[in-house]
Amino acid sequence: MSAIAPNFKLSEFIKSLLDNIFWVVLLVVLIGLPAIMMILFVIEMPVINGDLLTPFLALTWLADPSRILPVVKAFMATDIFKVMAFPGFGFAALIAAGTIFVERKMMAKLQLRVGPFYCGKVEGILQLMGDGLKLISKEIIIPAKADKPIFWAAPVLFVATAAAFVAFIPVAPGWVVADVELGLLGVFAVIGFFPIVTILSAWSANSKFPFIGGIRALFQMVSFEIPLILSLLGVVMLTGSLNLSEIAASQSSFPWIVFLPIGAIVFFITMLAELERIPFDLPEAESEIVAGWLTELSGMMYGLVQLGTYLKLYAFAGLFVVLFLGGWNGPMVVPPFPAELLEGVEMGPVTVGPFPGLPLFDQEMLNGALWFVLKTVAVIFFIILPRGVFPRIRVDMLLNLGWTKLIGLAFVNIFIALGLLYAGVLGPGGLQ
Amino acid sequence: MVGELAGNYSTVVLMFGFAMAAMAPALVISRMVSPRKKSNPVKFLPMECGQVPTGEGRTHFMMQYYPYILMFVVFDVMAIFLYAWGSALLEIPKIATLPMMGFLAIMFGAMAFALYQSGRRRIW
Repeated sequence: MSAIAPNFKLSEFIKSLLDNIFWVVLLVVLIGLPAIMMILFVIEMPVINGDLLTPFLALTWLADPSRILPVVKAFMATDIFKVMAFPGFGFAALIAAGTIFVERKMMAKLQLRVGPFYCGKVEGILQLMGDGLKLISKEIIIPAKADKPIFWAAPVLFVATAAAFVAFIPVAPGWVVADVELGLLGVFAVIGFFPIVTILSAWSANSKFPFIGGIRALFQMVSFEIPLILSLLGVVMLTGSLNLSEIAASQSSFPWIVFLPIGAIVFFITMLAELERIPFDLPEAESEIVAGWLTELSGMMYGLVQLGTYLKLYAFAGLFVVLFLGGWNGPMVVPPFPAELLEGVEMGPVTVGPFPGLPLFDQEMLNGALWFVLKTVAVIFFIILPRGVFPRIRVDMLLNLGWTKLIGLAFVNIFIALGLLYAGVLGPGGLQ
Repeated sequence: MVGELAGNYSTVVLMFGFAMAAMAPALVISRMVSPRKKSNPVKFLPMECGQVPTGEGRTHFMMQYYPYILMFVVFDVMAIFLYAWGSALLEIPKIATLPMMGFLAIMFGAMAFALYQSGRRRIW
């Protein structure tokens, strides 16, 4: 083994670990616990069922499922849970992580390689964790004349913008972070932030390759925004709503891709361009301009941009599913909950249950989330597939494609939607 | 009324803020954990494939496809106007579509002219 860390000694490593644990315990005992006690002394605790709620009582309640489950269920209905965990950041980050791993394995299979293999024994399943540890322990090098505050902020802003995009995507009926009336316009507004963050990052690095890459990204994202917006107009015309949940609910009998295939194709191509994926990966063209606008990002900054990219990929795939593939709609495949769970079960002389609030999710929600995830994974598969198949195209071909062909097809799509509506096939009095 | 409408969007801002609050510590922890050596000044030069860079990084870069940006300014506004029409299409009478078709015809003419001009690179 070559000297990766020549001064590493296991005994010193364990010693430093124990040192840290010692200091944490000492600080918690000397400062943390007295502080908690002082705060509890000032706060007036509530009286519940005749008992004063002391911390010890609260801890005993934690062990009682019939008391803690309703609390968990009430917490799951709050905005903070939706933002942090289920339709929001945690769920999206999980899908993003899965996408990174599957993409690496799939690219390897397409190119007759093995891909990640050793980390985690089974097909390199822990490769992503290893990469994260590597990135977080790498030194962050900032170019000498860079604009430091903006350069530091750009990766975080990129992730945050992608997360704001994720907020609009409805996963199951009622399970969406931001259920707003003008959801689709909100999506366009958030998409408009990505070129700004990109050009900020590229400009602040004060280096030539990121600058060229940033300009290319600006061109690409800006010129593909028009076909993106126009290709979705057909869906809005047929639905009569800009709310993404209503658009998904309107496809209960058939998805819009049946009637608007041209719009779906145009949206898919613009999606590839907005995501900077092959064949439109000019901003990151590694054979021409090192890594494009990511050239000067090192260590965890690059990791954050990667996370933001895949969050954006999930959000775009989810948007495609919601607008064209019917969102959460699908045949009911989740079996109904057993009656013992809902009504309790008799065990000899006593009846156990029903536990209050035990089916944490209802059947429709589980089914909807399942169908949404299945469709989203399928769309993600078709997004990452061209990376192993297509070459990169030139910038003039890209702009020509976006401005003449895709916009023309988007208008054809609009006229198809208008014709379907006025011929009475769809809309009021039509099929739906 | 307006505040209520804007208040619906607070969860988007919350999501934005949560992602920032959750991801900024990753950079801070990385800065704390990772080594920081100022071994030599070349290390902090901008990446230029091993060469010592000459000149500024932020230069005036020739934007060869400038007409597309000009077209974007017009077409972005037009697309949002089309959304105002398209989202109300089920409620308005059919005769109200005619002025929109006129608007589209004017825009198509303008777009054809702009694309024709953008093909003639010499004038840009």
